[in-house]
Amino acid sequence: MVAQKLKKLLLIGNPNVGKSVLFGQLTGKYVTVSNYPGTSVEVTYGNASIKGEQFTVVDTPGINSLLPMSEDEVVTRDMLLTEDFDHVLQVADTKNLRRSLVISLQLAEMGVPFSMALNMADEAEDAGIETDFAALGRLTGVETVSTVATRRKGMGKLREVVTKTRPSCLNIEYDDRVEMGVARISNLLPDSRISRRSVALMLLGGDTSLRGWLHSVVSDEAIEAIEAIVKEAQSASREPLGYVINRVRLTAVDKVVSACQRKVASHGTGWRRRLGDATMHPMLGLPVLAFVLYMMYQFVGVFGAGYLVDMMEEHVFGGFINPLTTRFFDAVLPVEFLRELFVGEYGIVTVALTYAIAIVLPITMTFFIAFGILEDSGYLPRLSIMLNRMFKTIGLNGKAVLPMVLGLGCATMATLTTRILETKRERMIVTLLLALAIPCSAQLGVIMGMLAGISPVGTFIWGGTVLAVLLSVGFAISRILKGDPPDFIMEIPPIRMPRIKNIVLKTFGRIEWYLKEAVPLFILGTLVLYAADKTHLLGLIERVASPVVVGMLDLPPRATQAFIIGFLRRDYGAAGLFAMSREGLLTPVQVVVSLVTITLFVPCVAQFFVTIKERGMKFAALTVLFVFPFAVLVGAALNMTLKVLGVTLQ
Amino acid sequence: MTHKKPVDLGITEEIVDEFLEALWLIEEKTGVACCDRARISSLVVGEDLVENEEKADSILDQLVKFGYITLAGGKVDFTPGGRERGKNIIRRKRLAEKLLAEVLSVGPSETRTSACRIEHVLSPEVTDSVCSFLGHPPTCPHGKPIPHGDCCKKLAHHMRPLVMPLTDLDPGKTARIVFIAPRDHGRMDRLSTLGIVPGTEILLHQKRPAFVIRSGETELALDIEIASEIYVKQIS
Repeated sequence: MVAQKLKKLLLIGNPNVGKSVLFGQLTGKYVTVSNYPGTSVEVTYGNASIKGEQFTVVDTPGINSLLPMSEDEVVTRDMLLTEDFDHVLQVADTKNLRRSLVISLQLAEMGVPFSMALNMADEAEDAGIETDFAALGRLTGVETVSTVATRRKGMGKLREVVTKTRPSCLNIEYDDRVEMGVARISNLLPDSRISRRSVALMLLGGDTSLRGWLHSVVSDEAIEAIEAIVKEAQSASREPLGYVINRVRLTAVDKVVSACQRKVASHGTGWRRRLGDATMHPMLGLPVLAFVLYMMYQFVGVFGAGYLVDMMEEHVFGGFINPLTTRFFDAVLPVEFLRELFVGEYGIVTVALTYAIAIVLPITMTFFIAFGILEDSGYLPRLSIMLNRMFKTIGLNGKAVLPMVLGLGCATMATLTTRILETKRERMIVTLLLALAIPCSAQLGVIMGMLAGISPVGTFIWGGTVLAVLLSVGFAISRILKGDPPDFIMEIPPIRMPRIKNIVLKTFGRIEWYLKEAVPLFILGTLVLYAADKTHLLGLIERVASPVVVGMLDLPPRATQAFIIGFLRRDYGAAGLFAMSREGLLTPVQVVVSLVTITLFVPCVAQFFVTIKERGMKFAALTVLFVFPFAVLVGAALNMTLKVLGVTLQ
Repeated sequence: MTHKKPVDLGITEEIVDEFLEALWLIEEKTGVACCDRARISSLVVGEDLVENEEKADSILDQLVKFGYITLAGGKVDFTPGGRERGKNIIRRKRLAEKLLAEVLSVGPSETRTSACRIEHVLSPEVTDSVCSFLGHPPTCPHGKPIPHGDCCKKLAHHMRPLVMPLTDLDPGKTARIVFIAPRDHGRMDRLSTLGIVPGTEILLHQKRPAFVIRSGETELALDIEIASEIYVKQIS
């Protein structure tokens, strides 16, 4: 570390208020920005120069209360509790001032000095909400500034006030039994970064996530005493104390809101609201979903996997890069053995790069663009409403739609997003299903490309089988892991017009990440095949796997190679099958069977490691041990069924 | 409604209530009030309302004198006045059960014992208020019918229930939350962090496939189970 320590600025606020956009504006560093609560589940650090001084800016997951309800909220609360910060900037949604002020009030109780950015001023204006900033400043006692972060409005003034943080004068008194509990618990607490009163309120509110921290700062006897006080206070109240505390806070906040905001006639949100309503309408919602899927298919499957892949593979790589590099290596590398390492049957250029750049990249890129538009429009949380019922059957609820749909982008990222789920049981179910039945964008794109070449019935068989596996495994696991489906209480963000700049940045960031993560693995996989081929091990493996690949799945022996590299990345495996199918080596039935198998195949290496990190080694190992044979069995069963039924898909 | 004081007959108002209640329950079960004297006697003894059957018999005789029941050929039946009083007791008891069990989330045994006490003390005005507050519920928590009162008859013509679960509100209507009665305490915490507490004004946007409510500029999706625990008063 360098000797000079930078001052640290924490961005805190409700979910989906624009913290990440502001972070990007302050630091120039892009973090994924989307239009739904829970985009950021991790802390991001960046550097900013504010009024000539260097700062470390910290973007945190959104919170609705500093009494956390899910893992991502714990992260933010713990930042305030233990992180060594100098300033806090509360980012608020101007049109949802009430909920923002509940956070302000809690920051005030903590004794944390802060300033406030009232973001999304444009949306508040559209909704006809006028804010009296002078009154708000007077009532809260902190600097407030109006911003529209996406359009850089108010950023100059924001930089002015960011360092002028001071403790807020917001202050409330609770009823006697709460105050008594607070006083008694406060006596048992040590000094920390935040006030004892605020910690005592969290404990009274039933916060169990503080336990770890408590153990590190007070004695076991003190903890027992605190628990006894909490229990006593709670038993004297019919309602949960956390709720009692929140009610008092909301009552206090309502007074502030009515003193500094008023609603005049709204204008300009009509079409967005109508569109938003249609997407979750019991009847219209389904056609909307069908339309969205159709557009995705057209853009990703037909344009990306069809047109762009053709262009890249046949013209750019087939007609240009591969012949050129082959000639180049022929000239400079006279040794056949080494030359094949680059341009042979298992060559780094002719296979790994061709697959990664010519086949998977165009597909991933189109998918990320389409997906980015969906994310930013606010459609995905509305999809949760449509799918809530279905998810109930697998022990989840609509909230789990988000990580699952994100899994269609990248299952690794989606495994991290499971943090927004409230119970461990849900997180386990979703993690397993992500590893089993959710193909990532790269894989999905390749699959779409292959399916486009055969009868549409094939697409339905593939989709139906994967969905059936998803639902039945989900159903079974939700019965094994006992527990009730958790409450479905979900915030729906407004429909917003996606901004091209954000889509471009986001897609660019994701492609960069894909190239960094996938290409090395593609090269590694190719090297494995190359080595196995040169040592004649490949032939041996193909023979050993033959009873399964040829016997049970009825695929050509070469498909074994696709499955071998599928252990590294499912999309690479799928790309191998794609190449075979383009060479005319697979019948339509073989296409469907091999695709179902590779879709369900083991999670990629990155996802495996994230699963270990989030769920533990045992869970990750069990997942793979289950998924691998299960995928093959489903493929074999499908193959047999199609045979018996005489389906040829010709 | 005025009651003659049966103090001179040596029994309390409560005992009168209990006997009339017992007869009402027999009528509800069998469809006819007219029953053997022995049957009602054994019922009230079984419920520990009186010590023995002789005592029960003597009380029945007193109820006849008092004009609540008739006794002809060993068969017991309501007089019109007795039936009215019996109906009101049952109404008070079942409204009390509804209030305790569903609004205040009191446990089943506590509900039972408390309702048995409350039924004797509610005045007609308070009874109608409770009934209106609960939205003139047709049945008690056990599914048995709650007899109508005057307030319910008014309702049929020109009054909407004062308080109803969110599930009974029509989409597009605005209402104010009166209370939240969840089975699970974590639910209240979670709703309150999203600003959903009593006093909050909400607009019910849709009921299917999930409930969607708007409060200010916040839009929330909820399960029907949760919506059924949010009691609201319609504003417009």
